Amino acid sequence: MSSAMDMQNFNIINDPITSEPKIIARDVNVFYGASQALKSINLDIGANEVTSLIGPSGCGKSTFLRCLNRMNDVIENCMVEGRINLDGIDIYNSGLDPVLLRARVGMVFQKPNPFPKSIYDNVAYGPKLHGTVSNKDELDERVEKSLRRAGLWDEVKDRLDKPGTGLSGGQQQRLCIARAIAINPEVILMDEPCSALDPIATAKIEELIDELRKRFTIVIVTHSMQQAARVSQKTAFFHMGEVVEVGETDKLFTSPQDDRTQGYITGRFG
Amino acid sequence: MTDNTPHIETGPLEINQALLKKRNAREIRFRLYGLSAVLTAIMVLCLLLTSIISKGYTAFEQTYILIDVRLDTETIDPKGTNRLEDLAAASYKSLLRAALREQFPGIEGRREKRQLYGILGTSADYDVRDAVLDNPKLVGTTATIAVKASDDVDSYFKGYISRDVPEDNRKVKDLELIWLDTFQADDRIIKKFNVDFFTNGDSREPEEAGILGAVIGSLYTLAITLALCFPIGVLTAIYLEEFAPTNRWTDIIEVNINNLAAVPSIVFGLLGLAIFLNFFGLPRSAPLVGGMVLALMTLPTIIIASRAALKAVPPSIREAALGIGASRMQTVFHHVLPLAMPGILTGTILGMAQALGETAPLLMIGMVAFIADIPSSMGDAATVLPVQIFLWADSPERGFVEKTSAAIMVLLAFLVVMNAIAVILRKRFERRW
Ligand SMILES: Nc1ncnc2c1ncn2[C@@H]1O[C@H](COP(=O)(O)OP(=O)(O)OP(=O)(O)O)[C@@H](O)[C@H]1O
Ligand SMILES: [Mg+2]
Repeated sequence: MSSAMDMQNFNIINDPITSEPKIIARDVNVFYGASQALKSINLDIGANEVTSLIGPSGCGKSTFLRCLNRMNDVIENCMVEGRINLDGIDIYNSGLDPVLLRARVGMVFQKPNPFPKSIYDNVAYGPKLHGTVSNKDELDERVEKSLRRAGLWDEVKDRLDKPGTGLSGGQQQRLCIARAIAINPEVILMDEPCSALDPIATAKIEELIDELRKRFTIVIVTHSMQQAARVSQKTAFFHMGEVVEVGETDKLFTSPQDDRTQGYITGRFG
Repeated sequence: MTDNTPHIETGPLEINQALLKKRNAREIRFRLYGLSAVLTAIMVLCLLLTSIISKGYTAFEQTYILIDVRLDTETIDPKGTNRLEDLAAASYKSLLRAALREQFPGIEGRREKRQLYGILGTSADYDVRDAVLDNPKLVGTTATIAVKASDDVDSYFKGYISRDVPEDNRKVKDLELIWLDTFQADDRIIKKFNVDFFTNGDSREPEEAGILGAVIGSLYTLAITLALCFPIGVLTAIYLEEFAPTNRWTDIIEVNINNLAAVPSIVFGLLGLAIFLNFFGLPRSAPLVGGMVLALMTLPTIIIASRAALKAVPPSIREAALGIGASRMQTVFHHVLPLAMPGILTGTILGMAQALGETAPLLMIGMVAFIADIPSSMGDAATVLPVQIFLWADSPERGFVEKTSAAIMVLLAFLVVMNAIAVILRKRFERRW
């Protein structure tokens, strides 16, 4: 299929959500072996805004998120069908190297997972790996900038050579964010980034997300409706492997169209 | 998070005293079982060590007899060149024998003479030669030189041969005892640290036999084993753990590796005999082949240990690396492998220790031959420590009993060092996530 045709198809579907989506998912089905985890997902992720994915446990939020940077590839029995375009390029079928894709679509995981190396090396690993800096000075600068953007610089500037695993949970998570943004991705995927953090650390990360939105497109999975309301512009509600409802965050929370959404956000199930 | 469990009304917790008592008694009993098991193990170990050390420590000493040897120039250096080569080439045996005859005049019969010469070690003349080479000025003088006593004399002075035994059953005869008493009365019997035990190869004579040949043989063998096992084992483990899909084939491979680890080692020896010697025609008794056979045997151990070490690296590390665009190989070599390395090395060292103590498969490929030379290459005929122990334990001479125990001590020392390294590695690089 040519990409021109792709564009045509999208025009026909003509999603009302965003005018210039960064990521377009069409008819995405995901199977773990024989069981289907995602059913015919259609979703657009707008550029430079925060999209939150909410829904009861096991509904496929993480699965969808991992489709966006092909992290599902490493799960052995996982099969992804359908089309996901990043800036108009099909990330599954156009021969795009998943390694390059992951450099463009960064990810922050639920549990902070810094490498058991120094704070500096944690952040420097990505730029070194992709050769995006040419010398030590540039690298130092990149590390500092990333840590500053992640709001961690002041806390760690005197201990850059100390292991990243020695930081507090919230600091570790911000270190992971710094590590992700050090390679200048276009999209950052966050899978419940605050679930292991206390309210203060959570507030810091949320502030950070709001700040990062200016430069990056962010997709965040969260179990906290307040968090979704606070940080995101768009919200998608997942239920049993389907997208039930998607829209502006304010609207979705104040006047949900679907009964299931209504039930979930008022706490009747999930 | 909401708590959906219905609330259950309960009274205050009532504890049945009898039950509690029984439970506590059971705990205490269990702890006692454990303690007694540990104590038994320690006792058996102590018994083993005491027995080996008490039998073997004397092997580190060697009895020498001080003899006044007239180093006359006529015999040693008739041309008077004073060159070390000439001094080394001279025959010192006759000088030594003359010195003995001088010490005990009136010994006439051939048999008695032979008996007299027999109290010295078979290569006692080397002691004289070495003394001369050390100090060429001695030529032409009469020097008091410490020469090695024979193994029976050595055993006698170490207390292994009793005078009370009837002469027929005694290795050191009455006549010899008289001579030895004379020496002893003159303070001419001394004991020295047995350097030769650590610097000589094997020998038919206990007083000449040393462990170095076996140590070198073991080192060569282990080097071959390590060189083959480590890369193959680690790469296999990485492939199976990190890259291979799980399907029927990898299942079969996994089962087979686990089975191989349990195959009796002698089977590997037979395999080595059939393939390496008979088919490929590699040299017999060589560390090269021994190392290959032991590599076959150790490979499953290393693969299993390495896989366990790789598995212990949390998946979140792999996700982190993949998530910022590292390829799978980069993920493995930058992050997973370094974290797994201490575990892999520990497994490897334990595998090597096992290989170091292995005897049976080496017997099959002929490493059991008597070899006096110290091997100088991987292709030379050699023996290894455990086989050396086996050979000495099999020898009838009294002197080899203590050598056997001493060799066991040397082997144990190597094992202790290797295991200590493994423990240190584990402690030093232990990581918590
Ligand atoms: N590796 C896997 N192998 C098999 N099934 C999986 C795997 N990962 C997820 N699943 C299944 O896919 C479905 C969706 O899982 P997913 O992790 O995407 O849910 P989620 O919405 O992220 O849930 P949570 O909010 O609890 O994180 C679940 O039914 C889950 O059991
Ligand atoms: Mg999830």
